[in-house]
Amino acid sequence: MSPELMIALIAGAALFGIGIYGALSQTNLVMILMGVELILAGAMVNLVAFWRYLHPDVAAGQMFVLIVMTVMAVEMAVGFGVAIARFRARGSVEMEEAVELKG
Amino acid sequence: MNTFIIVFLLLLGAYFVAVLEVWISKGRFQLAAPLFAAIAFLGRESFIPRKPDQLFYEVGPVLLLLSAVLAAAVIPLTPDLIMTDLATGALFINAALVYVLVALLMAGWGPDGAYAMIGGWRFLGQLIAYAMLIVMPITAVVMRAESLLSTQIVISQAGLWNIVYQPLGFILFFIASMALAFLPPFDLMIAKGELASGVEAEYSGMRLAIFRLGRLVLIITLASANVIFYLGGWQGPELFGYSLPPWAWSAIKILAVTMVMLFAGHYMPRIREAHLLSWCWMFGIPLALINIFIVGVLLLEFP
Amino acid sequence: MTVQAFFIGFFGLAAVWFGIVVFRTFSMMRSALALLFSQTALGAMFLSMQAEFLGVLQIMMMATEMSIMAIFMVMFMMDPGGLGEMEMTHQKRLSLIAGFVSFVGAVAVAVFVDWGPVASTFPDATQQTVELGLELLDRSMLIFETAGITILTAMIAATAVAIEPEKKSVTDEP
Repeated sequence: MSPELMIALIAGAALFGIGIYGALSQTNLVMILMGVELILAGAMVNLVAFWRYLHPDVAAGQMFVLIVMTVMAVEMAVGFGVAIARFRARGSVEMEEAVELKG
Repeated sequence: MNTFIIVFLLLLGAYFVAVLEVWISKGRFQLAAPLFAAIAFLGRESFIPRKPDQLFYEVGPVLLLLSAVLAAAVIPLTPDLIMTDLATGALFINAALVYVLVALLMAGWGPDGAYAMIGGWRFLGQLIAYAMLIVMPITAVVMRAESLLSTQIVISQAGLWNIVYQPLGFILFFIASMALAFLPPFDLMIAKGELASGVEAEYSGMRLAIFRLGRLVLIITLASANVIFYLGGWQGPELFGYSLPPWAWSAIKILAVTMVMLFAGHYMPRIREAHLLSWCWMFGIPLALINIFIVGVLLLEFP
Repeated sequence: MTVQAFFIGFFGLAAVWFGIVVFRTFSMMRSALALLFSQTALGAMFLSMQAEFLGVLQIMMMATEMSIMAIFMVMFMMDPGGLGEMEMTHQKRLSLIAGFVSFVGAVAVAVFVDWGPVASTFPDATQQTVELGLELLDRSMLIFETAGITILTAMIAATAVAIEPEKKSVTDEP
């Protein structure tokens, strides 16, 4: 149980917590995307820490990190496409006003 | 020790680029012109906009200089003269050069002025155009060298320089480096005729001097990157058993590439970033992919 | 405390601090650039854990992505300069509790689980890159190809959603 592994895991947990706070509390779509970016960043730190300190000879750990980076990029691209479409339809991307499908 | 030598050589190269720019714009070869201009900058009054975003306003030019020097950290001028021979050198050059964009965004947003801000966002449009054209030719070069170490990339060109092996990649990388250093004809964001000098509009005095110095160091760094990726670095042909020392070959090649970069765009009209985007994404990226394919086939055929 | 632990701690603290600045500041541009520097600190953490390729890749990709996020913020948000100091959150207490609970849960798992022996040797940077390349193109080729096609589909889909439909020109009518 090395101290470096502990520090990296705690940092990853902190980033994850901040990301969840941001994704749940913000009203604007772009800020929610930033919260999700922080969540994925926390996950990546954990992955690299586990790869480095527990199984450094298995390259699949680094592959997993590449896939998470790919997911970050793809989610941003699709999210911004949806934001543009929403902005053109309604004039704002505030989630508080997106109540058309409610109830 | 290597660090100081390379930083000193970078500043010397930046001085040379400044002399070349004066030669192009004024038609006279004045060796002392940059020195007088630097003294004039230090003496000029430094205007500050009324409500700038202080953090971004100050950090922008410094980040430009810093990213250019960082990108030069993995470039070998001779087999021993390299600041740090990272195992992922070719990728690190790219990573450091992306922060040029962040610096220009900060410099554009900081002064709280319309002209600077539009200049900064125009550079983001240019980045989307040239970013792939920098990464894909580097991929083809690394395929030949089978390593990301920059010294290994130079050594792999011992038999045949990459400019002969991958000419398509060289043309794309050259054009993309001109766009990265916002040289004419891609200088929409700082040109005097566009938006009253765009990003440079609100800077004066010491900050403008650092901005200009950062740009000059960036040009030299990109010329060095061109040389080590495509022109064989410090290697040169032997003549009657005599050959120039490695640092002389490096210097000649880097200065030659700089001169071509500066003179090539001088007579061309300025390219809007919308047109650059359509040219790069419709022609540039398919050509870069074809380049990778051709290099792969060549590598398999002639081991 | 080894040097590596110090660097990991320093960059981890920088990443967490920049992450907090993202949601505390009123200026949207500062928020986007704070997220950029948080991801850069993350890349530096990877570098100090000797995952060199991943660190450099993270630093490079995130700079581009967060700059694009910056321009989208300026396009879509009401007050990009932040001088109006608007409060733009909802269900603040619920999200604070959720964030705190997830943080405590993750730390509890990290501290109380026995992770097994810590590896003593690790491949150096050149060897790592070679092994990663072999892994990508040999064993995980299917995953890699699927990811590539997913990215291409996402690019085409996002562009198609964002294209404005052609309006009939007024001057065409007689």
